[in-house]
Amino acid sequence: MDAPAPAGRLTLAPPVAPAAPVATIAFRHLTALWVQVTGTLCNLQCTHCINASGPREPWLAPMEAETVRRHVVEAAALGVKEIYFTGGEPFLHAEILPLLAFALERAPTTVLTNGTLIDDAAAGALAALAAGARYSLEIRVSLDDPDAARNDVVRGPGAFRRALGAIRRLEARGLLPILTATELDRRGAAPGEDRYARLRDLLLASGIRKPRVKLLPVFPVGRMAGRGGGVVTPEMLAAVEPSRLQCSESRAVATGGVYVCPILSGFPAGRMAGATLGETLGPSRLDHPACLVCWQTGSSCRNA
Amino acid sequence: MTTLTEPSAFRRIAVFGGVYANAHALAATLDDAGRRDVDAVFCLGDLGGFGPHPDRVFPLLRGAGVRGIQGNYDQAIALGHTDCGCGYTDPRDNHYARISYAYTLGRTASEHRRWMGTLPAHRRLALGEHAALLCHGSPRATAEFLWESTTPDGLVARLLDDARAQVILCTHSGIKWHRRLADGRHLVNVGVIGRPENDGTPRVWYTLLTAERGRDLDVEFVPVHYDHEALAREMEAEALPPEFVETVRTGWWTTCLEVLPGRERARGRF
Repeated sequence: MDAPAPAGRLTLAPPVAPAAPVATIAFRHLTALWVQVTGTLCNLQCTHCINASGPREPWLAPMEAETVRRHVVEAAALGVKEIYFTGGEPFLHAEILPLLAFALERAPTTVLTNGTLIDDAAAGALAALAAGARYSLEIRVSLDDPDAARNDVVRGPGAFRRALGAIRRLEARGLLPILTATELDRRGAAPGEDRYARLRDLLLASGIRKPRVKLLPVFPVGRMAGRGGGVVTPEMLAAVEPSRLQCSESRAVATGGVYVCPILSGFPAGRMAGATLGETLGPSRLDHPACLVCWQTGSSCRNA
Repeated sequence: MTTLTEPSAFRRIAVFGGVYANAHALAATLDDAGRRDVDAVFCLGDLGGFGPHPDRVFPLLRGAGVRGIQGNYDQAIALGHTDCGCGYTDPRDNHYARISYAYTLGRTASEHRRWMGTLPAHRRLALGEHAALLCHGSPRATAEFLWESTTPDGLVARLLDDARAQVILCTHSGIKWHRRLADGRHLVNVGVIGRPENDGTPRVWYTLLTAERGRDLDVEFVPVHYDHEALAREMEAEALPPEFVETVRTGWWTTCLEVLPGRERARGRF
Protein backbone atom coordinates (compact mmCIF):
# COMPACT_ATOMS: atom_id res chain seq x y z
CA MET A 1 0.00 0.00 0.00
CA ASP A 2 1.06 3.58 -0.48
CA ALA A 3 2.20 5.28 2.66
CA PRO A 4 0.60 8.67 3.18
CA ALA A 5 2.87 11.66 2.97
CA PRO A 6 3.68 13.30 6.28
CA ALA A 7 2.32 16.82 6.38
CA GLY A 8 4.83 19.43 5.31
CA ARG A 9 7.29 16.93 3.88
CA LEU A 10 5.73 16.18 0.57
CA THR A 11 3.28 17.72 -1.80
CA LEU A 12 1.60 15.44 -4.27
CA ALA A 13 0.92 16.61 -7.78
CA PRO A 14 -2.02 18.91 -8.26
CA PRO A 15 -4.97 17.36 -10.09
CA VAL A 16 -4.95 17.61 -13.85
CA ALA A 17 -7.21 20.26 -15.33
CA PRO A 18 -10.20 18.27 -16.58
CA ALA A 19 -10.20 20.07 -19.91
CA ALA A 20 -6.71 18.92 -20.87
CA PRO A 21 -6.71 15.88 -23.15
CA VAL A 22 -4.11 13.43 -21.90
CA ALA A 23 -2.01 11.09 -24.02
CA THR A 24 -1.91 7.37 -23.35
CA ILE A 25 1.31 5.61 -24.25
CA ALA A 26 1.54 1.94 -25.20
CA PHE A 27 4.04 -0.27 -23.42
CA ARG A 28 6.70 -1.70 -25.74
CA HIS A 29 8.93 -4.05 -23.75
CA LEU A 30 10.58 -4.11 -20.34
CA THR A 31 14.02 -2.58 -20.83
CA ALA A 32 14.66 -1.29 -17.31
CA LEU A 33 13.49 -2.41 -13.89
CA TRP A 34 13.92 0.17 -11.12
CA VAL A 35 14.03 -1.08 -7.54
CA GLN A 36 13.38 1.59 -4.90
CA VAL A 37 15.08 -0.64 -2.40
CA THR A 38 15.20 1.70 0.60
CA GLY A 39 11.93 3.47 -0.10
CA THR A 40 12.49 7.06 0.92
CA LEU A 41 15.00 6.34 3.68
CA CYS A 42 18.12 8.44 3.13
CA ASN A 43 20.91 9.88 5.25
CA LEU A 44 20.72 13.14 3.26
CA GLN A 45 17.75 15.44 2.72
CA CYS A 46 18.40 17.19 -0.59
CA THR A 47 16.33 20.21 -1.43
CA HIS A 48 15.37 18.93 -4.88
CA CYS A 49 14.78 15.24 -4.08
CA ILE A 50 12.20 13.72 -6.43
CA ASN A 51 10.67 11.61 -3.70
CA ALA A 52 11.33 13.75 -0.64
CA SER A 53 13.63 11.19 0.95
CA GLY A 54 15.24 11.85 4.29
CA PRO A 55 16.55 10.31 7.47
CA ARG A 56 13.46 10.67 9.64
CA GLU A 57 10.08 9.01 9.21
CA PRO A 58 10.46 7.94 5.60
CA TRP A 59 7.01 8.05 4.04
CA LEU A 60 7.80 4.94 1.99
CA ALA A 61 9.31 1.97 3.79
CA PRO A 62 12.36 0.03 2.56
CA MET A 63 11.59 -3.14 0.61
CA GLU A 64 11.81 -6.64 1.99
CA ALA A 65 14.72 -8.49 0.36
CA GLU A 66 12.47 -11.35 -0.69
CA THR A 67 10.16 -8.94 -2.51
CA VAL A 68 13.14 -7.51 -4.39
CA ARG A 69 14.31 -10.97 -5.40
CA ARG A 70 10.84 -11.92 -6.63
CA HIS A 71 10.64 -8.87 -8.88
CA VAL A 72 14.18 -9.39 -10.19
CA VAL A 73 13.45 -13.00 -11.11
CA GLU A 74 10.25 -12.00 -12.89
CA ALA A 75 11.97 -9.15 -14.74
CA ALA A 76 14.73 -11.47 -15.95
CA ALA A 77 12.15 -13.92 -17.26
CA LEU A 78 10.48 -11.04 -19.11
CA GLY A 79 13.76 -10.22 -20.86
CA VAL A 80 14.73 -7.11 -18.91
CA LYS A 81 17.91 -5.43 -20.13
CA GLU A 82 19.01 -3.50 -17.04
CA ILE A 83 18.20 -3.34 -13.33
CA TYR A 84 18.64 -0.18 -11.25
CA PHE A 85 18.69 0.07 -7.45
CA THR A 86 17.65 3.38 -5.99
CA GLY A 87 15.97 4.88 -2.95
CA GLY A 88 16.45 6.81 -0.71
CA GLU A 89 20.02 5.74 -0.23
CA PRO A 90 20.42 2.09 -1.30
CA PHE A 91 23.45 1.48 0.92
CA LEU A 92 21.27 1.95 3.98
CA HIS A 93 19.62 -1.38 3.15
CA ALA A 94 21.07 -4.14 5.31
CA GLU A 95 21.09 -6.60 2.40
CA ILE A 96 22.17 -4.31 -0.42
CA LEU A 97 25.31 -6.25 -1.38
CA PRO A 98 23.59 -9.67 -1.54
CA LEU A 99 20.74 -8.07 -3.48
CA LEU A 100 23.14 -6.50 -5.99
CA ALA A 101 24.86 -9.87 -6.36
CA PHE A 102 21.50 -11.56 -6.90
CA ALA A 103 20.53 -9.05 -9.60
CA LEU A 104 23.94 -9.23 -11.29
CA GLU A 105 23.53 -12.96 -11.81
CA ARG A 106 20.57 -12.14 -14.05
CA ALA A 107 21.15 -8.74 -15.64
CA PRO A 108 23.50 -5.76 -15.72
CA THR A 109 22.88 -3.76 -12.59
CA THR A 110 23.33 -0.15 -11.56
CA VAL A 111 23.07 1.37 -8.11
CA LEU A 112 22.34 5.07 -7.57
CA THR A 113 23.95 6.40 -4.40
CA ASN A 114 24.96 9.62 -2.72
CA GLY A 115 28.32 7.98 -2.04
CA THR A 116 28.45 8.94 1.62
CA LEU A 117 28.50 5.34 2.84
CA ILE A 118 31.08 4.06 0.35
CA ASP A 119 34.15 3.77 2.53
CA ASP A 120 37.21 1.69 1.64
CA ALA A 121 35.54 -1.55 2.72
CA ALA A 122 32.37 -0.90 0.73
CA ALA A 123 34.36 0.16 -2.34
CA GLY A 124 36.40 -3.01 -2.08
CA ALA A 125 33.29 -5.15 -1.77
CA LEU A 126 31.73 -3.49 -4.82
CA ALA A 127 34.92 -3.95 -6.85
CA ALA A 128 35.00 -7.63 -5.93
CA LEU A 129 31.35 -7.97 -6.87
CA ALA A 130 31.94 -6.31 -10.24
CA ALA A 131 35.03 -8.38 -10.99
CA GLY A 132 33.20 -11.64 -10.36
CA ALA A 133 29.97 -10.71 -12.11
CA ARG A 134 28.88 -11.86 -15.52
CA TYR A 135 27.37 -8.50 -16.38
CA SER A 136 28.38 -4.89 -15.86
CA LEU A 137 27.96 -3.30 -12.43
CA GLU A 138 27.63 0.47 -12.56
CA ILE A 139 27.76 2.87 -9.61
CA ARG A 140 26.16 6.29 -10.05
CA VAL A 141 27.23 8.85 -7.48
CA SER A 142 25.08 11.96 -7.12
CA LEU A 143 26.67 15.37 -6.87
CA ASP A 144 24.88 18.48 -8.02
CA ASP A 145 27.42 21.22 -8.52
CA PRO A 146 31.14 21.41 -9.31
CA ASP A 147 31.41 24.01 -6.56
CA ALA A 148 31.49 22.42 -3.09
CA ALA A 149 29.61 25.20 -1.33
CA ARG A 150 26.86 25.37 -3.93
CA ASN A 151 26.55 21.60 -3.94
CA ASP A 152 26.27 21.39 -0.17
CA VAL A 153 23.52 24.01 -0.06
CA VAL A 154 21.44 21.48 -1.97
CA ARG A 155 22.73 18.19 -0.62
CA GLY A 156 23.86 19.04 2.91
CA PRO A 157 27.15 19.88 4.67
CA GLY A 158 30.02 17.62 3.66
CA ALA A 159 28.09 15.93 0.83
CA PHE A 160 30.48 17.20 -1.85
CA ARG A 161 33.62 15.96 -0.12
CA ARG A 162 32.11 12.58 0.69
CA ALA A 163 30.73 12.00 -2.83
CA LEU A 164 34.03 12.88 -4.44
CA GLY A 165 35.80 10.61 -1.97
CA ALA A 166 33.54 7.72 -2.99
CA ILE A 167 34.25 8.37 -6.68
CA ARG A 168 37.99 8.32 -6.00
CA ARG A 169 37.79 5.13 -3.94
CA LEU A 170 35.77 3.35 -6.63
CA GLU A 171 38.04 4.50 -9.47
CA ALA A 172 41.09 3.39 -7.51
CA ARG A 173 39.63 -0.11 -7.48
CA GLY A 174 38.95 -0.27 -11.20
CA LEU A 175 35.30 0.75 -11.17
CA LEU A 176 34.27 3.71 -13.29
CA PRO A 177 31.54 5.51 -11.35
CA ILE A 178 29.19 7.85 -13.17
CA LEU A 179 28.79 11.26 -11.59
CA THR A 180 25.10 12.06 -11.84
CA ALA A 181 23.96 15.66 -11.51
CA THR A 182 20.69 17.47 -11.95
CA GLU A 183 20.16 20.59 -14.02
CA LEU A 184 19.30 22.54 -10.89
CA ASP A 185 18.41 26.16 -10.49
CA ARG A 186 21.06 28.07 -12.42
CA ARG A 187 21.01 31.19 -10.30
CA GLY A 188 24.55 32.00 -9.34
CA ALA A 189 25.98 30.10 -12.30
CA ALA A 190 28.31 31.97 -14.63
CA PRO A 191 26.74 33.12 -17.93
CA GLY A 192 27.03 30.38 -20.52
CA GLU A 193 28.34 27.95 -17.96
CA ASP A 194 28.72 24.50 -19.41
CA ARG A 195 27.70 22.38 -16.49
CA TYR A 196 28.71 19.15 -18.17
CA ALA A 197 32.21 20.41 -18.96
CA ARG A 198 32.67 21.81 -15.46
CA LEU A 199 31.69 18.52 -13.84
CA ARG A 200 33.97 16.64 -16.20
CA ASP A 201 36.82 19.03 -15.39
CA LEU A 202 36.15 18.54 -11.69
CA LEU A 203 36.62 14.80 -12.09
CA LEU A 204 39.78 15.21 -14.16
CA ALA A 205 41.20 17.64 -11.59
CA SER A 206 40.41 15.09 -8.90
CA GLY A 207 42.56 12.48 -10.61
CA ILE A 208 39.73 10.56 -12.27
CA ARG A 209 41.21 9.29 -15.54
CA LYS A 210 37.98 8.21 -17.20
CA PRO A 211 35.41 10.79 -16.18
CA ARG A 212 31.78 9.85 -16.71
CA VAL A 213 29.02 12.40 -16.23
CA LYS A 214 25.27 12.08 -16.57
CA LEU A 215 22.93 15.06 -16.36
CA LEU A 216 19.29 14.80 -15.41
CA PRO A 217 16.58 17.44 -15.47
CA VAL A 218 14.81 18.53 -12.33
CA PHE A 219 11.32 17.09 -12.04
CA PRO A 220 8.32 18.85 -10.46
CA VAL A 221 7.72 16.09 -7.95
CA GLY A 222 8.70 15.38 -4.37
CA ARG A 223 10.34 18.48 -2.87
CA MET A 224 10.07 20.26 -6.23
CA ALA A 225 6.35 19.57 -6.65
CA GLY A 226 4.37 22.47 -8.03
CA ARG A 227 7.31 23.95 -9.92
CA GLY A 228 6.24 23.67 -13.53
CA GLY A 229 5.37 20.69 -15.64
CA GLY A 230 2.09 19.68 -17.19
CA VAL A 231 0.33 16.94 -19.06
CA VAL A 232 1.32 15.54 -22.43
CA THR A 233 -1.49 15.66 -24.97
CA PRO A 234 -2.08 13.07 -27.72
CA GLU A 235 -0.82 15.56 -30.32
CA MET A 236 2.39 16.10 -28.36
CA LEU A 237 2.94 12.36 -27.99
CA ALA A 238 2.40 11.82 -31.72
CA ALA A 239 5.27 14.22 -32.42
CA VAL A 240 7.94 12.13 -30.68
CA GLU A 241 9.31 8.62 -30.92
CA PRO A 242 7.52 6.67 -28.16
CA SER A 243 10.73 4.88 -27.14
CA ARG A 244 12.03 8.30 -26.06
CA LEU A 245 9.68 8.15 -23.09
CA GLN A 246 10.80 5.68 -20.48
CA CYS A 247 7.25 4.80 -19.41
CA SER A 248 7.09 2.78 -22.65
CA GLU A 249 10.01 0.59 -21.55
CA SER A 250 10.44 0.83 -17.77
CA ARG A 251 8.70 -0.09 -14.57
CA ALA A 252 9.65 0.61 -10.95
CA VAL A 253 8.95 -1.50 -7.89
CA ALA A 254 8.75 -0.20 -4.36
CA THR A 255 7.04 -1.04 -1.13
CA GLY A 256 3.46 -0.63 -2.24
CA GLY A 257 3.62 -2.22 -5.64
CA VAL A 258 4.63 -1.55 -9.21
CA TYR A 259 4.96 2.00 -10.57
CA VAL A 260 5.04 3.46 -14.05
CA CYS A 261 8.57 4.90 -13.99
CA PRO A 262 11.41 5.72 -11.56
CA ILE A 263 10.36 9.36 -11.21
CA LEU A 264 6.88 8.48 -9.98
CA SER A 265 7.96 5.39 -8.02
CA GLY A 266 6.18 5.19 -4.70
CA PHE A 267 3.61 7.89 -5.47
CA PRO A 268 -0.05 6.98 -5.71
CA ALA A 269 -0.13 8.89 -9.01
CA GLY A 270 2.41 6.49 -10.49
CA ARG A 271 0.94 3.26 -9.19
CA MET A 272 0.03 0.62 -11.79
CA ALA A 273 -2.87 -1.76 -11.30
CA GLY A 274 -1.43 -5.22 -10.72
CA ALA A 275 0.82 -6.89 -8.18
CA THR A 276 3.36 -8.44 -10.55
CA LEU A 277 5.41 -6.82 -13.27
CA GLY A 278 3.71 -8.96 -15.87
CA GLU A 279 0.35 -7.50 -14.89
CA THR A 280 1.54 -3.92 -15.34
CA LEU A 281 3.04 -3.99 -18.83
CA GLY A 282 0.12 -2.14 -20.35
CA PRO A 283 -0.57 1.44 -21.44
CA SER A 284 -0.17 4.38 -19.09
CA ARG A 285 -1.38 7.98 -19.06
CA LEU A 286 1.00 10.93 -19.32
CA ASP A 287 -0.99 12.99 -16.87
CA HIS A 288 1.56 13.89 -14.20
CA PRO A 289 3.39 17.26 -14.30
CA ALA A 290 6.66 15.32 -14.43
CA CYS A 291 5.59 13.74 -17.74
CA LEU A 292 6.03 17.04 -19.54
CA VAL A 293 9.66 17.24 -18.44
CA CYS A 294 10.39 13.83 -19.98
CA TRP A 295 8.60 14.86 -23.16
CA GLN A 296 10.44 18.19 -23.37
CA THR A 297 13.92 16.93 -22.58
CA GLY A 298 13.86 13.41 -24.00
CA SER A 299 15.81 12.55 -20.90
CA SER A 300 16.08 9.01 -19.64
CA CYS A 301 16.97 7.97 -16.12
CA ARG A 302 18.97 5.08 -17.59
CA ASN A 303 22.76 5.29 -17.80
CA ALA A 304 22.96 5.92 -21.54
CA MET B 1 10.16 -2.11 -41.35
CA THR B 2 10.98 -4.15 -44.43
CA THR B 3 12.39 -7.66 -44.18
CA LEU B 4 13.98 -9.43 -47.12
CA THR B 5 14.05 -13.23 -47.04
CA GLU B 6 16.83 -15.03 -48.88
CA PRO B 7 15.34 -17.86 -50.98
CA SER B 8 18.13 -20.44 -50.57
CA ALA B 9 20.14 -21.74 -47.63
CA PHE B 10 23.81 -20.88 -47.05
CA ARG B 11 26.64 -22.99 -45.69
CA ARG B 12 29.14 -20.21 -45.02
CA ILE B 13 28.69 -16.45 -45.01
CA ALA B 14 30.84 -13.45 -44.19
CA VAL B 15 29.14 -10.64 -42.25
CA PHE B 16 30.35 -7.21 -41.25
CA GLY B 17 28.91 -3.93 -40.04
CA GLY B 18 29.95 -0.32 -39.60
CA VAL B 19 31.88 0.53 -42.75
CA TYR B 20 31.98 4.18 -41.62
CA ALA B 21 33.35 5.36 -44.98
CA ASN B 22 36.53 3.31 -44.51
CA ALA B 23 37.02 2.16 -48.11
CA HIS B 24 40.50 0.82 -47.29
CA ALA B 25 39.21 -1.59 -44.67
CA LEU B 26 36.24 -2.52 -46.84
CA ALA B 27 38.49 -3.49 -49.75
CA ALA B 28 40.73 -5.54 -47.45
CA THR B 29 37.72 -7.27 -45.89
CA LEU B 30 36.22 -8.17 -49.25
CA ASP B 31 39.61 -9.54 -50.40
CA ASP B 32 39.93 -11.65 -47.27
CA ALA B 33 36.38 -12.99 -47.40
CA GLY B 34 36.82 -13.78 -51.10
CA ARG B 35 39.54 -16.28 -50.18
CA ARG B 36 37.42 -18.13 -47.63
CA ASP B 37 34.90 -20.03 -49.72
CA VAL B 38 31.88 -18.00 -48.65
CA ASP B 39 28.48 -18.32 -50.33
CA ALA B 40 27.61 -14.66 -49.76
CA VAL B 41 28.74 -11.50 -48.00
CA PHE B 42 26.39 -9.40 -45.88
CA CYS B 43 26.73 -5.88 -44.49
CA LEU B 44 24.61 -4.93 -41.50
CA GLY B 45 24.66 -1.21 -42.17
CA ASP B 46 26.19 2.18 -41.27
CA LEU B 47 28.09 2.80 -44.47
CA GLY B 48 29.11 6.37 -43.68
CA GLY B 49 30.27 8.45 -40.74
CA PHE B 50 33.69 8.80 -39.13
CA GLY B 51 35.81 8.30 -42.26
CA PRO B 52 36.53 10.40 -45.39
CA HIS B 53 35.02 10.42 -48.89
CA PRO B 54 31.80 8.54 -48.14
CA ASP B 55 31.03 7.88 -51.82
CA ARG B 56 34.01 5.56 -52.23
CA VAL B 57 32.48 2.59 -50.45
CA PHE B 58 29.45 2.19 -52.72
CA PRO B 59 31.21 0.91 -55.88
CA LEU B 60 33.09 -1.62 -53.72
CA LEU B 61 29.93 -2.89 -52.03
CA ARG B 62 27.91 -3.10 -55.22
CA GLY B 63 30.78 -4.52 -57.27
CA ALA B 64 31.24 -7.37 -54.80
CA GLY B 65 27.52 -8.12 -54.62
CA VAL B 66 27.37 -7.43 -50.90
CA ARG B 67 23.84 -7.87 -49.55
CA GLY B 68 23.06 -4.98 -47.27
CA ILE B 69 20.62 -3.87 -44.65
CA GLN B 70 19.97 -0.33 -43.57
CA GLY B 71 21.68 1.03 -40.48
CA ASN B 72 20.51 4.11 -38.62
CA TYR B 73 23.16 6.17 -40.41
CA ASP B 74 22.05 4.97 -43.83
CA GLN B 75 18.43 5.70 -43.02
CA ALA B 76 19.29 9.19 -41.77
CA ILE B 77 21.47 10.05 -44.80
CA ALA B 78 18.93 8.59 -47.23
CA LEU B 79 16.14 10.67 -45.75
CA GLY B 80 18.26 13.75 -45.04
CA HIS B 81 17.52 13.71 -41.33
CA THR B 82 19.00 16.39 -39.11
CA ASP B 83 21.10 13.91 -37.13
CA CYS B 84 22.46 10.39 -37.39
CA GLY B 85 20.05 8.77 -34.95
CA CYS B 86 22.99 6.94 -33.40
CA GLY B 87 21.30 6.84 -30.02
CA TYR B 88 23.84 8.85 -28.05
CA THR B 89 22.55 10.62 -24.97
CA ASP B 90 25.73 12.32 -23.86
CA PRO B 91 26.69 15.85 -24.99
CA ARG B 92 30.29 14.93 -25.76
CA ASP B 93 29.24 11.95 -27.89
CA ASN B 94 26.70 14.08 -29.70
CA HIS B 95 29.28 16.79 -30.40
CA TYR B 96 31.44 14.41 -32.42
CA ALA B 97 28.44 12.69 -33.99
CA ARG B 98 27.27 16.03 -35.38
CA ILE B 99 30.66 16.70 -37.00
CA SER B 100 30.67 13.30 -38.71
CA TYR B 101 27.10 13.55 -39.82
CA ALA B 102 27.38 17.02 -41.35
CA TYR B 103 30.52 15.96 -43.25
CA THR B 104 28.93 12.74 -44.53
CA LEU B 105 25.55 14.20 -45.46
CA GLY B 106 27.22 16.94 -47.50
CA ARG B 107 29.40 14.51 -49.45
CA THR B 108 27.15 11.57 -50.25
CA ALA B 109 25.86 11.59 -53.82
CA SER B 110 22.11 11.54 -54.31
CA GLU B 111 22.26 8.24 -56.22
CA HIS B 112 23.93 6.60 -53.22
CA ARG B 113 21.42 8.15 -50.85
CA ARG B 114 18.61 6.72 -52.97
CA TRP B 115 20.28 3.30 -52.97
CA MET B 116 20.61 3.29 -49.18
CA GLY B 117 16.93 4.15 -49.02
CA THR B 118 16.10 0.90 -50.79
CA LEU B 119 17.93 -1.34 -48.34
CA PRO B 120 15.78 -3.56 -46.11
CA ALA B 121 15.79 -3.13 -42.32
CA HIS B 122 16.15 -6.88 -41.75
CA ARG B 123 17.09 -9.98 -43.68
CA ARG B 124 16.08 -13.53 -42.92
CA LEU B 125 18.06 -16.48 -44.15
CA ALA B 126 18.79 -20.13 -43.48
CA LEU B 127 22.32 -20.89 -42.32
CA GLY B 128 22.25 -24.65 -42.82
CA GLU B 129 19.51 -25.70 -40.42
CA HIS B 130 19.60 -22.44 -38.43
CA ALA B 131 17.03 -19.71 -39.07
CA ALA B 132 18.91 -16.42 -38.84
CA LEU B 133 17.71 -12.84 -38.55
CA LEU B 134 20.10 -10.10 -39.63
CA CYS B 135 19.54 -6.64 -38.18
CA HIS B 136 21.50 -3.48 -37.42
CA GLY B 137 21.26 -2.68 -33.68
CA SER B 138 18.75 -5.23 -32.47
CA PRO B 139 15.70 -6.85 -34.05
CA ARG B 140 13.46 -4.42 -32.15
CA ALA B 141 15.31 -1.14 -32.63
CA THR B 142 17.77 -0.06 -35.33
CA ALA B 143 19.80 2.10 -32.94
CA GLU B 144 19.80 -0.22 -29.90
CA PHE B 145 23.26 -0.95 -28.53
CA LEU B 146 23.86 -4.59 -27.65
CA TRP B 147 27.09 -4.76 -25.65
CA GLU B 148 28.40 -8.00 -24.24
CA SER B 149 28.37 -6.85 -20.61
CA THR B 150 24.88 -5.33 -20.73
CA THR B 151 22.95 -7.91 -22.74
CA PRO B 152 21.66 -10.54 -20.34
CA ASP B 153 20.80 -14.07 -21.42
CA GLY B 154 17.13 -13.44 -20.65
CA LEU B 155 17.10 -10.58 -23.15
CA VAL B 156 18.88 -12.65 -25.79
CA ALA B 157 16.28 -15.40 -25.36
CA ARG B 158 13.48 -12.86 -25.60
CA LEU B 159 14.89 -11.32 -28.78
CA LEU B 160 15.30 -14.77 -30.35
CA ASP B 161 11.77 -15.77 -29.35
CA ASP B 162 10.29 -12.57 -30.77
CA ALA B 163 12.35 -12.89 -33.97
CA ARG B 164 11.40 -16.57 -34.37
CA ALA B 165 15.06 -17.30 -35.08
CA GLN B 166 17.86 -19.51 -33.81
CA VAL B 167 20.51 -16.94 -34.68
CA ILE B 168 20.54 -13.13 -34.51
CA LEU B 169 23.33 -11.20 -36.22
CA CYS B 170 23.75 -7.53 -35.29
CA THR B 171 26.32 -4.71 -35.19
CA HIS B 172 25.95 -0.96 -34.28
CA SER B 173 27.93 -0.93 -31.03
CA GLY B 174 31.36 -1.35 -32.65
CA ILE B 175 32.73 -4.25 -30.59
CA LYS B 176 32.23 -7.88 -31.59
CA TRP B 177 30.98 -10.60 -29.25
CA HIS B 178 29.16 -13.92 -29.36
CA ARG B 179 26.73 -15.53 -26.91
CA ARG B 180 25.60 -19.13 -27.20
CA LEU B 181 22.62 -19.83 -24.95
CA ALA B 182 22.31 -23.13 -23.11
CA ASP B 183 19.54 -24.11 -25.54
CA GLY B 184 21.92 -23.80 -28.50
CA ARG B 185 20.69 -20.52 -29.92
CA HIS B 186 23.10 -17.71 -30.76
CA LEU B 187 23.42 -13.95 -30.79
CA VAL B 188 26.46 -12.60 -32.62
CA ASN B 189 27.48 -8.97 -32.73
CA VAL B 190 29.64 -9.14 -35.86
CA GLY B 191 31.65 -6.01 -35.03
CA VAL B 192 32.55 -3.22 -37.44
CA ILE B 193 35.21 -2.80 -40.13
CA GLY B 194 35.28 0.99 -40.15
CA ARG B 195 36.94 1.63 -36.83
CA PRO B 196 39.15 -0.45 -34.54
CA GLU B 197 37.44 -1.87 -31.49
CA ASN B 198 39.20 0.00 -28.68
CA ASP B 199 41.80 -2.70 -28.11
CA GLY B 200 44.96 -0.72 -28.86
CA THR B 201 45.53 -2.13 -32.34
CA PRO B 202 44.46 -0.60 -35.67
CA ARG B 203 43.00 -3.86 -37.00
CA VAL B 204 39.27 -4.30 -37.54
CA TRP B 205 37.05 -7.40 -37.50
CA TYR B 206 34.44 -9.22 -39.52
CA THR B 207 32.68 -12.52 -38.86
CA LEU B 208 32.52 -15.86 -40.65
CA LEU B 209 29.58 -18.14 -39.90
CA THR B 210 29.67 -21.75 -41.01
CA ALA B 211 26.80 -24.23 -40.70
CA GLU B 212 27.74 -27.86 -41.26
CA ARG B 213 25.02 -30.50 -41.09
CA GLY B 214 24.78 -32.08 -37.66
CA ARG B 215 27.19 -29.60 -36.05
CA ASP B 216 26.74 -26.49 -33.99
CA LEU B 217 27.04 -23.20 -35.80
CA ASP B 218 30.67 -22.17 -36.07
CA VAL B 219 31.37 -18.48 -35.39
CA GLU B 220 34.81 -17.13 -36.25
CA PHE B 221 35.91 -13.54 -35.80
CA VAL B 222 38.44 -12.60 -38.46
CA PRO B 223 40.94 -9.76 -37.94
CA VAL B 224 41.59 -7.49 -40.91
CA HIS B 225 44.77 -5.49 -41.24
CA TYR B 226 44.55 -2.71 -43.79
CA ASP B 227 46.41 0.45 -44.79
CA HIS B 228 45.19 2.47 -41.83
CA GLU B 229 47.92 5.05 -42.32
CA ALA B 230 46.52 5.89 -45.78
CA LEU B 231 43.10 6.32 -44.21
CA ALA B 232 44.52 8.53 -41.46
CA ARG B 233 46.22 10.80 -44.00
CA GLU B 234 43.02 11.13 -46.02
CA MET B 235 41.12 12.05 -42.86
CA GLU B 236 43.69 14.71 -42.04
CA ALA B 237 43.47 16.10 -45.57
CA GLU B 238 39.70 16.32 -45.15
CA ALA B 239 40.14 18.12 -41.80
CA LEU B 240 38.18 15.49 -39.91
CA PRO B 241 38.64 15.69 -36.12
CA PRO B 242 42.14 14.74 -34.96
CA GLU B 243 40.49 12.61 -32.30
CA PHE B 244 39.12 10.35 -35.05
CA VAL B 245 42.50 10.11 -36.73
CA GLU B 246 44.14 9.16 -33.45
CA THR B 247 41.70 6.26 -33.10
CA VAL B 248 42.55 4.99 -36.58
CA ARG B 249 46.27 5.06 -35.79
CA THR B 250 46.24 3.76 -32.21
CA GLY B 251 43.18 1.54 -32.01
CA TRP B 252 41.94 3.36 -28.91
CA TRP B 253 38.57 5.09 -28.96
CA THR B 254 38.79 8.78 -28.16
CA THR B 255 35.14 9.66 -28.84
CA CYS B 256 31.75 7.99 -28.40
CA LEU B 257 33.10 6.79 -25.07
CA GLU B 258 30.14 7.77 -22.97
CA VAL B 259 27.87 5.16 -24.50
CA LEU B 260 30.22 2.36 -23.39
CA PRO B 261 29.22 0.30 -20.34
CA GLY B 262 31.72 0.44 -17.50
CA ARG B 263 33.27 -2.91 -18.25
CA GLU B 264 33.92 -2.16 -21.94
CA ARG B 265 35.10 1.36 -21.06
CA ALA B 266 37.57 0.00 -18.53
CA ARG B 267 39.35 -1.98 -21.24
CA GLY B 268 40.19 1.11 -23.30
CA ARG B 269 42.76 3.83 -22.76
CA PHE B 270 40.29 6.73 -22.39
